[in-house]
Amino acid sequence: MLTDFNFRVIWEYMPLFLTGVRATAFIAAVSITLALITGILACACRISGIKALKYPATIYIEIIRSTPLLVQIYFLYFGLPTLGLRIPELQTGIIALMLNSGAYIAEIIRAGINSVDEGHIEAGISSGLNYVQRMRFIILPQALGVTIPPLLGQNIVLVKDSALLSLISVVELTRSGQTMTSERFMPAEAFLTVAFFYMCIYFCLKAFADWSQRKLIYREVY
Amino acid sequence: MIEFKNVNKWFGKLHVLNDINLEIPKGEVLVICGPSGSGKSTLIRCINRLEPIQKGEIIVNNVPVHDKATNLTKLRADIGFVFQQFHLYPHMTVLENIMLAPVNVRKVAKSKAEKIAMEKLEQVGLTEKSGVHPAQLSGGQQQRVAIARGLAMSPKIMLFDEPTSALDPEMIGEVLDVMVNLVSEGMTMCVVTHEMGFAKKVANRVLFMDEGAIVETGTPDEFFDNPKTDRAANFISMILTH
Amino acid sequence: MMAFYFGQLVEIFPFFLKGLWMTSKIGFISLVSCTLIGLILGVFRISNNIILKRLVGVYVAFVRGTPFVVQIFIIFFIFPEWGIQLEAFPAALLAMAIMGSAFICEIVAGGIAAIPTGQWEAAASSGLTRFQQLRLVIIPQAMKIILPPLVGQYVLLIKDTSVVSVIGVMDLTRVGWVTVVRIPEGLMVFSLVGALYFMISYPLILLSNYLEQRMDA
Repeated sequence: MLTDFNFRVIWEYMPLFLTGVRATAFIAAVSITLALITGILACACRISGIKALKYPATIYIEIIRSTPLLVQIYFLYFGLPTLGLRIPELQTGIIALMLNSGAYIAEIIRAGINSVDEGHIEAGISSGLNYVQRMRFIILPQALGVTIPPLLGQNIVLVKDSALLSLISVVELTRSGQTMTSERFMPAEAFLTVAFFYMCIYFCLKAFADWSQRKLIYREVY
Repeated sequence: MIEFKNVNKWFGKLHVLNDINLEIPKGEVLVICGPSGSGKSTLIRCINRLEPIQKGEIIVNNVPVHDKATNLTKLRADIGFVFQQFHLYPHMTVLENIMLAPVNVRKVAKSKAEKIAMEKLEQVGLTEKSGVHPAQLSGGQQQRVAIARGLAMSPKIMLFDEPTSALDPEMIGEVLDVMVNLVSEGMTMCVVTHEMGFAKKVANRVLFMDEGAIVETGTPDEFFDNPKTDRAANFISMILTH
Repeated sequence: MMAFYFGQLVEIFPFFLKGLWMTSKIGFISLVSCTLIGLILGVFRISNNIILKRLVGVYVAFVRGTPFVVQIFIIFFIFPEWGIQLEAFPAALLAMAIMGSAFICEIVAGGIAAIPTGQWEAAASSGLTRFQQLRLVIIPQAMKIILPPLVGQYVLLIKDTSVVSVIGVMDLTRVGWVTVVRIPEGLMVFSLVGALYFMISYPLILLSNYLEQRMDA
């Protein structure tokens, strides 16, 4: 099998793959940034006492979590045009990723905030700190340590999720594989190369996540 | 019965067992004591191969412990081990804890195993707790159940690794009482402990270890009243002052 | 206009139910196969055999490091090159099994690793073989730790079945995709698809939340 593996063709298509990697990196970076903002907002709404904010946020999060990402992508891709919004597929894809990861990030942040020791919060209340001060000085700094590892994990998930954008014709890494397959009919060379590139991205992100996990051990120490 | 021949063990660069030569005859009650890190727990854990050794030989009942060909199951079935942290199985009742090994290792029928288990529970004075889970017992009771669990296999040797060190003071006595009774039945015992009262009462020999080596041995009276080495004397004075 | 589409909706609804049935079938078979294989792999992952440990580790890294859709393409397109003709449905099941077992393997290994060493030692000291230690002492205790994340993983697996639509399996997602070509009401079609997915995954999510709460108690 491997003797027939055509490395020459892979080399020929390398510009296509590299374009795909760049596109995937771009999509992931933009999406995760937007998702972070979305997640923080959604989480803030959800933990606020205000029902008008809490219910929509909760419904948004639960719907995202109970439905597949692909369905969400198709919903936007096929649905937005019917509302008269002709958005290019790249932007549609980014919006889908933003909304999807945003919901998960909201839950990650919420779990982080809930993980802060009840006793610390009581101590803050007893010293007269108001809600905002407690958030700023006690809860958020500690929640950060608990939240960052899963956030980095979600980042990795998002890179893999971005592969689904190939199904709505967005230029990215998986699509490069599809293009090469349709042009040369060499799916093994195409998709194993694509897999290889994803593995490289994965190991880089994972190494970064592990490194930052070590840096955050202060929480365990005290 | 138990023989250590030039036993050496390293944890990385740390020499935890330094040329140990020791013979424990049948029926002997040996107490091992020494400061923290002296290797006493490691020594006893090597006897049933919970720990490997790099050099030397340990022979139990003519069977080389660390030999690749040795049937570990058979060896361990004849040695009972009581841990400092008891390590009872939390998902089983007291009775099931004690019955587990006889049923699965010696292939004893469940009804017979139950009988044996109740006998051992009676021996440690806890028959009424047979249907209870370990979490509902006090530390002293858990340790007594752990001893019953060890005895259920009718071992030839019982090893105790600081059996009372994790107990609240008022519970130490009940466990030591059980152990004293075992002695009167002629059990070969090797006990790592700081309980000097116990040692004086029932031990045939006391071993003092420091920095991985056996520094001094002797009868309890010899050891406690007339220690030969300075390190032993130092250690004894430290534990007796509280 | 809405009435017109509503009529069409009623007409295609059986088609959607068929898709839901296909999704449920794939989901159920995958949950069972992934759990069984994942359990075995998880035990291998914590075994003393370094080769076994490393092999499973490489396999898990590959599954976790690549997108599921790429894995599906690899399985569906490459097997014929090796002479194995795979239809879409078996290929989908195979892809799900390979992907899901890797994640469950990690959950199982994590659960087993959480059991204190003392339990292993106590069991070993009484003469139990390593397999008996695992079966009688370790895994029963690990189950309580494994169950909540396991059910959480089940939810993810059911959602992941939607990706097999790309190789033509007529699951719920593909039904929507095919329908929207005929009835270009993307919002309505995929709202219906989403609602049906919600129906089968939300109960599992509630179960998962409940189990997580019980664990923390």
